[in-house]
Amino acid sequence: MNKILSKNEFWLFCILLILSCIVGGINDAFWSGTNLFSLFKSSVVMGIFALGVLIVILSGGIDISFPAFAVFSFYITVKYLLYIKFTGSILIPFAMAMAIGVALGLMNAFIISTFKLNPLIVTLGTGSAVTGFLRAFVGTGTLSNLPQPLIDFSRWNIYTETLADGSVIGFSGSFLILAALIVIMALILRNTTMGRGVYALGCDSVAAMRAGFPVRGIYYFIYGLVGALAGIAGIVHCSLIRLANPRDLEGTELEVIAAVVLGGASLTGGRGTVLGTVLGVFLIVLIKGSLILVGIPSDWQKVAIGLVLISATSITAYRAMRAGM
Amino acid sequence: MRRRFVFFGALVCLFVLFGFAACGLAAEKKYKIATVVKVDGIAWFDRMRIGVDEYAKETGHDLWMVGPAKTDAAEQVQIIEDLIAQGVDALCIVPFSVEALEPVLKKARDAGIVVICHEASTQENVDLIIEAFDNYAYGANIMKDLGANMGGKGGYICTVGSLTSKSQNEWIDGAIAYQKENFPDMYEVTPRIETYDDATVDYQKIKEALVAHSDLKGICGGPMPTSAGAGLAIEERGLQGKVFFTGTGLPSIAGQYLKSGAIQTIQFWDPATAGKVMNKIAIAFLDGKRDEIKDGANLGFTGFESVKQDPEKKNLFYGAGWVVVTKENADEYDF
Amino acid sequence: MLSPLGLILIKDEDAMSSEIVKAEDIEKSFGGIKVLDRVSMAVSAGEICCLAGENGCGKSTLIKVISGVYPHDGGRIELNGREYQRLGPIDSIREGIQVIYQDFSLFPNLTVAENLALNDQVESGRSLVSWGRVRRIARESLAMIGIDMDIDKTVGELPVSSKQLVAIARAVYCNARLIIMDEPTTTLTQKEIESLFSLIRGLREKGISTLFVSHKIREMLDITEKITIMRNGRVVVSGYTRDFDEIKITQAMTGREISGDRFRWSGNTGEPPLLRTEKLGRSGAFQGIDLTLRRGEIVGVTGLLGSGRTELALALFGKGPSDEGRIFRNDREIVIKSIQDAIANGIAYVPEDRLTEGLFLEQSIERNLFANIYRKFINSVGLLDFRKVRAAASEKARQYGVTAPDISLPVRSLSGGNQQRVVLARWMSTGADVLILNGPTVGVDVGSKFEIHKKLREITESGVGILIFSDDIQELIMNCNRIMIIHKGSFTNEFRSDTLRESDLIDCLNASR
Repeated sequence: MNKILSKNEFWLFCILLILSCIVGGINDAFWSGTNLFSLFKSSVVMGIFALGVLIVILSGGIDISFPAFAVFSFYITVKYLLYIKFTGSILIPFAMAMAIGVALGLMNAFIISTFKLNPLIVTLGTGSAVTGFLRAFVGTGTLSNLPQPLIDFSRWNIYTETLADGSVIGFSGSFLILAALIVIMALILRNTTMGRGVYALGCDSVAAMRAGFPVRGIYYFIYGLVGALAGIAGIVHCSLIRLANPRDLEGTELEVIAAVVLGGASLTGGRGTVLGTVLGVFLIVLIKGSLILVGIPSDWQKVAIGLVLISATSITAYRAMRAGM
Repeated sequence: MRRRFVFFGALVCLFVLFGFAACGLAAEKKYKIATVVKVDGIAWFDRMRIGVDEYAKETGHDLWMVGPAKTDAAEQVQIIEDLIAQGVDALCIVPFSVEALEPVLKKARDAGIVVICHEASTQENVDLIIEAFDNYAYGANIMKDLGANMGGKGGYICTVGSLTSKSQNEWIDGAIAYQKENFPDMYEVTPRIETYDDATVDYQKIKEALVAHSDLKGICGGPMPTSAGAGLAIEERGLQGKVFFTGTGLPSIAGQYLKSGAIQTIQFWDPATAGKVMNKIAIAFLDGKRDEIKDGANLGFTGFESVKQDPEKKNLFYGAGWVVVTKENADEYDF
Repeated sequence: MLSPLGLILIKDEDAMSSEIVKAEDIEKSFGGIKVLDRVSMAVSAGEICCLAGENGCGKSTLIKVISGVYPHDGGRIELNGREYQRLGPIDSIREGIQVIYQDFSLFPNLTVAENLALNDQVESGRSLVSWGRVRRIARESLAMIGIDMDIDKTVGELPVSSKQLVAIARAVYCNARLIIMDEPTTTLTQKEIESLFSLIRGLREKGISTLFVSHKIREMLDITEKITIMRNGRVVVSGYTRDFDEIKITQAMTGREISGDRFRWSGNTGEPPLLRTEKLGRSGAFQGIDLTLRRGEIVGVTGLLGSGRTELALALFGKGPSDEGRIFRNDREIVIKSIQDAIANGIAYVPEDRLTEGLFLEQSIERNLFANIYRKFINSVGLLDFRKVRAAASEKARQYGVTAPDISLPVRSLSGGNQQRVVLARWMSTGADVLILNGPTVGVDVGSKFEIHKKLREITESGVGILIFSDDIQELIMNCNRIMIIHKGSFTNEFRSDTLRESDLIDCLNASR
């Protein structure tokens, strides 16, 4: 019991529950399927990004290039697929975007591990360079006539229900992708030598090297994985909103990093869990997606988000301090 | 003494002659007019370039469009400096920053260059400002369509890209004022929503508003992305015919939802026309016909049949240059 | 899989007498500077050896050469009879050489079990982690050194001594034949050191050798069989420990005579004491403390860990202040409720962990010297007179024997002894006449230790009184005129050191245990 009480995840879960009750108490439409399904759907893209950021932060690094990589991956993929008038399996665009993401991620890994540079600076640079390249050489226009497989994907629901007023609600199938990635990431981090290497590296890179970990290889693994996740998140994002806009997702990096840190990951590396990250993402999505429900006017929404974030972080941090961590 | 008089007279004759010659040349002279936009390479200004190029062909003058590669006031200033040095006859400008351009525009006018501005109602160092429309009238027109679709009854929401965006908030002010006057049974369910010019935010906020307010029947969209976000939200929930959208939008972005019937009308102004109007006014000024641009003047383009002069700022004119697009005419616009 | 322990035993039958490490005439230079100059040393199976020397003598470099971290420029290295031209870290590990660095190279965020099993996990090339296997390995490796601990605790939560045990267990499990320990006793209490030593002796029974890298001479005399002493990149002397005594070792390490005189106080007991406490107490920490410190005295306070020693030291400096009793300065009662009070009353404190409590590591020596007294250098217009600061700082640094090429360098770049001198110099410049030192020479090499002690004695000549809180008995006996024993928060004994024998003090401490 004490063990559970000392866990950051437990407290996050409590905060999530309490917030839900508050929002639901103010407006019971919160508990409607329409709203809950919508919240789950909203958490998909951010959740996938967050899994990537988690692994980088665990390794003691940081990545702020992933939104740029996501945009680069989906925009080129969509543009190419439109060019060849693609109608095949949805797996193809996913594979393409992932491949582009991995390539970009490996570029980060190469620069960081070869020149021993600070990942913040490196990813700031590569992210900006990739965005610039995209706009200069590929295009700046918003593509709204996505290939049919992507539109079909955005319409994919695993459960649908027709409400009394004739409107339809559905539980988006895209959430399955997030769920699958959560399980995969949890397994990688917990049950593979590579995953444990990430923790070890984040804790003490010299000690990790002494323990025999192929440190350079771990860097390639981490940043490649982040790239792959960025590619997936990108294609999911553009499919769900049914637009390929090269100016999208700018600025999401800070929000995602905030979610991961809120989820208990330490920015100094070595500490953090998949469960915590997922809860952190849900918390941020819940806050951002409940302001109209609660009736907070636009002028005050940013204030509300800031206050909730700070108090949530304070509660978990205070818990950790008391637990003597 | 006499000799000097003769010399002086000859000089005067020479000047007069040259003057006539100059006037004669001017009648056939090709004006050099540059249109300087906020940023080059985005769809909006690509469309404006089409207008400028078309008008150059029509008139035979030397007209072209330039703009910085990224939205940056300093770069725009630099471009204008270069154009002054090149000796253009007139400048048509869509300023990125009104304040930042004042000094360089003063310099241009001191050099005898005619300066016409667009989307800059507060610019000072300028010969004439032509706006596509009065912001309040634009918003009123959105509400006119939305109210008609909603049957004049029910709740609605308004979106703006940012609570600090002057023009978008004026549109919404105009829309709400129009609703109060003409559709007394309609009401705003929640104060205007900020969506950061991001279709994803529009989509999520509209979905949330639909959950929070079951009486929500209409969406009045300020920023462009709302058209896509609202279209997606309505289509996904199967709310066609139950919830209506009217607002700013481009056919290239919202066309799919117009066609599917998720949204009814989008409204925008055609940057190509704006480009043509600016250049037409510049040429009129250079031809010495500045008096012809007055309240109620017909500039000969759609939406500019009867321009309105601002009662306080005499060199500020408005058109009614919005274009309303529905399912039927969506295919006429490819931007 | 054959248990690693079994493997060692089998090997030992034919390798018992052979040398695990044999280094001959090793040379190593960095940027043209010779760090190792024809150094030779050997460790045989089942031996406990010591490599001693002051900071910068080259002993760390030698360890790195033996463990394959640095390639050697000249000489020969043989491991278990096999010569290596270019020794890599992997070769060294494969030959059974395990280094336990001062930081232990453990992962504080991972559990004990995982820390123990990680090396094997990586080495065996498995890509999946079986947590059952991890726990089994953890239990086995703890069993090998006869230790029991909760393997599900994260290492960060463990005390230093347990971390060290984890590091040793891990090394032993990795088929260690020789464990090299870098300054293993620095952060341990006397009791913990004793149990470490018995563990090391136990390993010797199993044929595992240990090489200590240390400058703590007394401890080395207790446990080691062979000693090698280095100075300035050379081996000065090497031989069986039984042929050495403390003075001989110290001389070899420092290259100079270290004075063996005890400190004598020749002050006047008639004067009002600098500091006097009456029934001073702090609930849960100490009680009824009557302490007197006179001008020019050095008074030692010692006791076991948890005896209230550190709490008393801190209370006198206003950190965790006393809640009963009275404090007098020159017979005038004062109140010390905060550090500011203490400083205002001319009390200075040099903390045990000078690195985290006493110094701004990244700041310059100059700034560190004057952190407390910048006020004194404010000129007529209210600004700091930097030229004056600089001149005064250089003077101070010289006075206190801080050896640094430039006082604008960060304090981090200094050796432990020099850092300690900076702290001393800083406090003395506040004009304090009561100086409280907590563990003044922890982690300081012999030479610097001697310098610090000399400095302390000098300071007393100007009438300053010094209180030393320490568990280094030798240090106390040599440098204090009186020694107080604290036990369970009260003074139990008082000794005059001029007649005191070391064994008496140790007996007294042990009796209270």
